[in-house]
Amino acid sequence: MQRSKILKRIVLAAFAIIAVRLFFIQIIEHDAWVAKADEQHTMLETIVAKRGEIYMMDQNEPVAVVMNQTTYSVIIDPAVTDKDGIKAALNEYAKDNISADLDKVFSTEGLRYSIVARGVSHTAASKIADKGIAGVWFQKSNQRVYPEGELASGILGFVNADGLGQYGVEGSLNNILSGKDGLLKSISDVNNVALSIGDDNVKIPAEDGQNVVLSVDRGLERGIEEITQDTLNNSPAEHAAVLVMDPNTGEVIAMANLPNYNPGNYGAVKDASAYNNYTTEIPYEPASIFKNFIFSAAINEGKMDADTTYFNEPYTEIDGNKIWNAEQRGSLNNHTLTMRQALYWSLNVGSIQALKFLGDNPNEITTAGRERMYDYYHNKFRLGQATGIELIEAEGFIWDPHADIYGLNAAYANMTFGQNLSATMIQTATAFSAVVNGGYYRTPTIVRGTLNDNGEIIPLTDDAENKIEDKILKDETSAMMREMLINNRSYKLRAGIDREGYDVGGKSGTAQVIVDGAYDDSMTNLIGSYIGFVAPAGEMPKYLIMTKMWGEGQALSGGEAQELFDVLSNYVIDYMKIKPAW
Amino acid sequence: MKNRKHKSDLVILFATLGLMALGLIVIYAIGPMRANVLNSTYGSNYDPNDFFIGQLRSVGLSLVAFFVAFKVIPYELLRKWSKPIIIIALILSALLWLLAKVGSPLAKCELGECRWYNLGIISFQPAEALKLALVIYLADFLARKKEEGTIGAWREFWVPLIIVCGASLGLVVVAQGDLGTGVALIAIIFGMLLIAGVPAKQYLIMLAIVLVVAVGSVALSDHRMERVDAWIATLSGGESSDSTYHIENAMMAIGAGGFFGVGIGNSVQATGYLPESINDSVFAIMGETFGFVGLILVISVFVIMLLRMLKVADTTKPKDERFYVVGVFSWVLAQVVVNIMAMTSLVPVTGITLPLLSYGGTSMIFISFALGEVLQISCYTSREVINYNENTNSRRRVRGTHYSSRSRNSRNTTSKATRRN
Repeated sequence: MQRSKILKRIVLAAFAIIAVRLFFIQIIEHDAWVAKADEQHTMLETIVAKRGEIYMMDQNEPVAVVMNQTTYSVIIDPAVTDKDGIKAALNEYAKDNISADLDKVFSTEGLRYSIVARGVSHTAASKIADKGIAGVWFQKSNQRVYPEGELASGILGFVNADGLGQYGVEGSLNNILSGKDGLLKSISDVNNVALSIGDDNVKIPAEDGQNVVLSVDRGLERGIEEITQDTLNNSPAEHAAVLVMDPNTGEVIAMANLPNYNPGNYGAVKDASAYNNYTTEIPYEPASIFKNFIFSAAINEGKMDADTTYFNEPYTEIDGNKIWNAEQRGSLNNHTLTMRQALYWSLNVGSIQALKFLGDNPNEITTAGRERMYDYYHNKFRLGQATGIELIEAEGFIWDPHADIYGLNAAYANMTFGQNLSATMIQTATAFSAVVNGGYYRTPTIVRGTLNDNGEIIPLTDDAENKIEDKILKDETSAMMREMLINNRSYKLRAGIDREGYDVGGKSGTAQVIVDGAYDDSMTNLIGSYIGFVAPAGEMPKYLIMTKMWGEGQALSGGEAQELFDVLSNYVIDYMKIKPAW
Repeated sequence: MKNRKHKSDLVILFATLGLMALGLIVIYAIGPMRANVLNSTYGSNYDPNDFFIGQLRSVGLSLVAFFVAFKVIPYELLRKWSKPIIIIALILSALLWLLAKVGSPLAKCELGECRWYNLGIISFQPAEALKLALVIYLADFLARKKEEGTIGAWREFWVPLIIVCGASLGLVVVAQGDLGTGVALIAIIFGMLLIAGVPAKQYLIMLAIVLVVAVGSVALSDHRMERVDAWIATLSGGESSDSTYHIENAMMAIGAGGFFGVGIGNSVQATGYLPESINDSVFAIMGETFGFVGLILVISVFVIMLLRMLKVADTTKPKDERFYVVGVFSWVLAQVVVNIMAMTSLVPVTGITLPLLSYGGTSMIFISFALGEVLQISCYTSREVINYNENTNSRRRVRGTHYSSRSRNSRNTTSKATRRN
């Protein structure tokens, strides 16, 4: 055979094999290779929505108290980057942001990706980028900034590393604040830079979160927090919570949870309980403050009035339990007293008497009395139930009037003076608002609405739909309660603490703490509360103030909480410029 | 004893020019992507048009080389200087090895292999020169031995042959670590030996020895075995790894191209996924861009060009010219087949350029020069196949062209008629 024919056959055979192979790869396996290539080329990137800012009110103008800042993480490919160059650049522009041990990064064999700095400002990041060092890139991230520092940390909450709001408004209104992330799906090059190649590219723009305006007054909040922290520093108490509301609208004007933490550095908190908002998340026994509610119920039902009398014994025995008055003095014991006196001296026997009146039998607690009390406590004052405020809330507990337990009447007797039940401060304050505002229960709120681009505040739709406004007490009942509460404090007026021209009413409460399921009778572990209102003399209450102070192993009577109220009520009058009436 | 001069082989001419033009188009489309990848990954500072301009320069120089070989330098001159040419080529390779040994900046090394002279703005790969020199030398050597009738003789034929070929292979494969050029050299040597009429038994023994040495050297080299393992892993659908990345991405590019391809400028694999996208892997990018239809067309151009070169060889009277053409044929064939087969995972990746299409100056310039000489030789072919009985060295009388062409035609007609019966 002619030898060149061998070469010709080699050519034809080789190219026949190649043609068949190409047919196999490009026609038969085409779909599989396309799928494999797409998997490699397609980049899915989340377009992060801008989180809404949080505003407080100041001089009736919204001011931002939570904002966003764009920061950058610096990422390097240690295998290709200029080691000395990037080290020098980082040390020069972002020394405090270096988050990795650079020497260790560079000595790790085979490492191709390392985040070496976090939280780098835009200016510093662009200066580093200007150096043009190979194998260095930047990842943008949004950081939450709290320019007021620790102010109102219990209201605000924080945003965790995953961008999720936690605690406070950040947590409860996360959906409104966070907006909706968009999606970018595109064909990208080997360095994940999107290419214009391909018709399968998708871009869903992000919906930015909405700016939220709180009803909280920034200046008042700051003042309240400073005063309260001061009081705390000079007291054995470890914690204090203060609530200032407009009883006529249900709006929260200030809400302090002390000690505060810095939401911008939330990780520094040692005990996660510091994140709690004590006013809404922690149910407790508000104690004698609750006497207002049983008194209101009995008066409203026409079963008694302020001057109805009863025979005050040192204790009363119910279901075999002796329930004692905290106040044991000769001028009170075994005397006929008015209900007004019972409230002023915070006599437990007196509040139990109100329950007896409510049940139409002055000598014992009846089923009808329990049912009516439950109707007021649970259905009208909504105690033990979440109020619907725009914050994370706990519920609480009120005994059912037909509960199948031994000593149900004793439990109800306890409930008249705010024990053997639980409720949060916001529940208590909202119910108390109804007692003093003319009898209207209104859903409390801490959010005015969202701020649109025109600077208008649009109320939250959830609030509009779920807002309760319920007339639960007669005008006269409310007026009688206000009168008693003001007179309860009249000695403060004489002492020069409350000022002429103003009506300041209030009631204290001292609760035993339940330890291991039983009341701690040692009286060394007490929570003190005080609730009251301020008004120009003879007018309706303008502001409601509730204080609470406690500390582990600390016997804190309503006295400390009352002293705090005394200071704060005057501060609120001054700050809110309430004019006196004569 | 040359034939009268006639027109050159237009098929080879246009195939060469066409492939160069296609290479330019492909580099024009993917050059900016390459620049972008290098800039963003390694912080280099390429202009998007740098690679196209580079290729334009290479094509320009290659065209000069092509037409100088075609029109200016008569093949006789090359034959006359064949010995100095091979000696200079061998010295250039040996000198590079020495320079690399002493760490001279004149030797340009990449990934531990020193294959280039660094001459300022341009670099030069002596192995490409060695391929051309060996073809020129062997054409002359084999023709002389043929005339002497000493083909197959140990002392007169094999000993000098083994020395020259051994030196060339040694410098390229061992000193420069360039297995791709080694494969091309072996193909050149054995293609030319085949056509020179080396006795079949000796030929097969030599081929067996070379194959054993080649397989042995691969098995003894870790990085070459890694490529073989990667190839086997790709074939058998094994685990993906760093070593299989190149071949997998080449297959991905070719496979994703489908029937008609994604079109010029739409290659995604060229944006950094496929290594060597403008050099050794350009075939895969063409597969993605032009699809099955495009690749079959490109391959057809190479097949037609190669078959035309065989025809030129068959119809060239001077033995040295005939052997030269077969040498160039073997060179092109080896590079095209090994490159494409590597890209389609039919053989392990060796790192060999696709003639006239891959980015890179030296390779294109030398192969263009070689093809220019082939084109020159094609101007002097007979119209009849020159048939030797290569095994016995006896030759038939050369027939008159006029008559023989007619007789060939009639023979063809007869055979067709016979078949029809």
